[in-house]
Amino acid sequence: METAGLWMLAAVACAMLLTGLPSWIVLCAVALAFAAGGSAFGLFTPAILAALYPRLVGLLENDLLQALPLYVLMGVLLNRLPLADILFRVARHALAPTRRATPLAGLALGALLAPMSGSVGASVAMLSRTVHPRMAAAGYPEDRNVALVCMASTLGVVVPPSLVLILLGDAMMRAHTEAANVAGLAGRIINTQDVFHAALAPAALLLALCVAVIAWQGAHEESSQGAPARREMLTAFAAASLIVALLAGVALGHLYAVEAAATGGMALVGYAIATRGLDRVALGAVLRETIAITGSLFSLLVAATLFTLVQRAFDTDRWLAQSLAHLPGGPFASLAIVLAGVAACALVLDAFEMIFVVVPLVAPALIARVADAPWVAVLLLLILQTSFLVPPFGYAVMMARGRIASAPGTRELARALTPYVAAQAAVVALVIAFPGMLWRESSPGKAPAAQQSEEAARKLLEEQLDAAPAQ
Amino acid sequence: MRALDRALAAAIGAASVLVLPVSMLLFLQWPLREIVHGYSRDANDLAQILFAMYVAVAVTAATRDGSHLAADAFARRYRPETRRRLRRAACALVLVPLCVLVIAAGAPAAWMSLMQLERFPETLNAGYFLVRAAALLLALLVLAQALVDLFAPRDAHDP
Repeated sequence: METAGLWMLAAVACAMLLTGLPSWIVLCAVALAFAAGGSAFGLFTPAILAALYPRLVGLLENDLLQALPLYVLMGVLLNRLPLADILFRVARHALAPTRRATPLAGLALGALLAPMSGSVGASVAMLSRTVHPRMAAAGYPEDRNVALVCMASTLGVVVPPSLVLILLGDAMMRAHTEAANVAGLAGRIINTQDVFHAALAPAALLLALCVAVIAWQGAHEESSQGAPARREMLTAFAAASLIVALLAGVALGHLYAVEAAATGGMALVGYAIATRGLDRVALGAVLRETIAITGSLFSLLVAATLFTLVQRAFDTDRWLAQSLAHLPGGPFASLAIVLAGVAACALVLDAFEMIFVVVPLVAPALIARVADAPWVAVLLLLILQTSFLVPPFGYAVMMARGRIASAPGTRELARALTPYVAAQAAVVALVIAFPGMLWRESSPGKAPAAQQSEEAARKLLEEQLDAAPAQ
Repeated sequence: MRALDRALAAAIGAASVLVLPVSMLLFLQWPLREIVHGYSRDANDLAQILFAMYVAVAVTAATRDGSHLAADAFARRYRPETRRRLRRAACALVLVPLCVLVIAAGAPAAWMSLMQLERFPETLNAGYFLVRAAALLLALLVLAQALVDLFAPRDAHDP
């Protein structure tokens, strides 16, 4: 019955698609149904569900999760204030000599704001409103236009310090702790900062490759839009400087991600007040939208907490760890299988559902096998991002097609997305081939745990699994 | 049920502004820590209480706003009546039992925490009992909304 946890995942995918009910309700429904089944067969007692309350309290007192409403507030404000438009106009003016100004400015806007706007969905909404109409007006083909919106919207998955990275960092810290306990791994447990640092080089490489794709797609004559006003230039400079300073502050460890998000949120509120960009009615709408989106994300966390509790009651996590430990082909085979499974799940699930439901199940088993946790985290991020871009079910693709009425068909869009997906595949391949390219803390005490030999890791894991008390 | 519906709307309206003091308190952490060299953790504790209350209400706000993530590629073709029945079944069979379970499991611990006016374990600042209470509040509000959706459904609750 240890495989029940995997059947739970399959049941969630089917129930979500067939009922159309909110994902958090489907997760809870499947968890409760399997818990009832497990209790009926005497596999565990229903009392395990009493652990849900302390787990809920744990979520409410989690410092890192305080960032969640702050990122949502920033995303909602960015969608309502003219700041994104100003940044885009100024960037396009500055990039005019390249004769690829509009797509490059769209990419730059995505890179600058996607990490702040919280989720892929919020980024798609912002870029569909800001970049897409201007690309269309400049005469770019619709498939290239929508492909760029999709690609730029997913940059928040890999460019630190996005909400996705913060939450994955937290999930990886828990996974690494669990793997260290089970498999006896040596070395420091990774934290969110380590994941930020590790993601920087692949994110920079991916951005460079996207610029190369735009350059390769050829020059495009654009009608002159006129220089932005001096006030717009100053606003854009101040906003870009603040964003870069916040990102650098977090990357260098001077600021916690939560503080950076709070600073960004307060700066946007200050900007809205100073420019009278929000009246009382608009502010009320911002607050209502913020609490609703925050609730939609937090409800997923609540549901995932119950879901993973039941999965663990079935011992699925131990079964998965044992299965990976006995898999022929060494750590790379384990890595390939887990990444393929994550990619398949990401075609149906959002980034947050992936982080809350799938990562806690597979990451501890994978880290027990492949001890380099930051490397595993970055590969998971890159695979997630790639999956969001694969038509027809990629999350960013579905969101963009829902937002942009004139979006092309699957075949045209797939063709336009191919260079970007190829760029992502190249980055994944490079990260797999050269784990040393990731930025890591250099002090010996902070170095990632050394990768264990296959035999030693399996022996340790089996010893720990045998010694662990049955639940 | 109408009164409960209005009470939920009022609670969400009141709680929605809490994101501003949460942002302000967390923003102040850095200058308090680096410049004032004090009160940073107190600001964090206060933000924690407000955050707990905020998200406790936020889940119900998402339900009323129809903001929950859902994959309805197939289900959007169903008749509205079918979708309404699915939602009501989910309320009756999933949300109500789940909330009753959380309330039954958590009420004794939350009550004891309240009686002791439990403090934050690291800073010993007052108010940790409110974080425990917020978990119960979350379940109570979801239960109330599920009852409203069962007995007095509104179209605005569509997922």
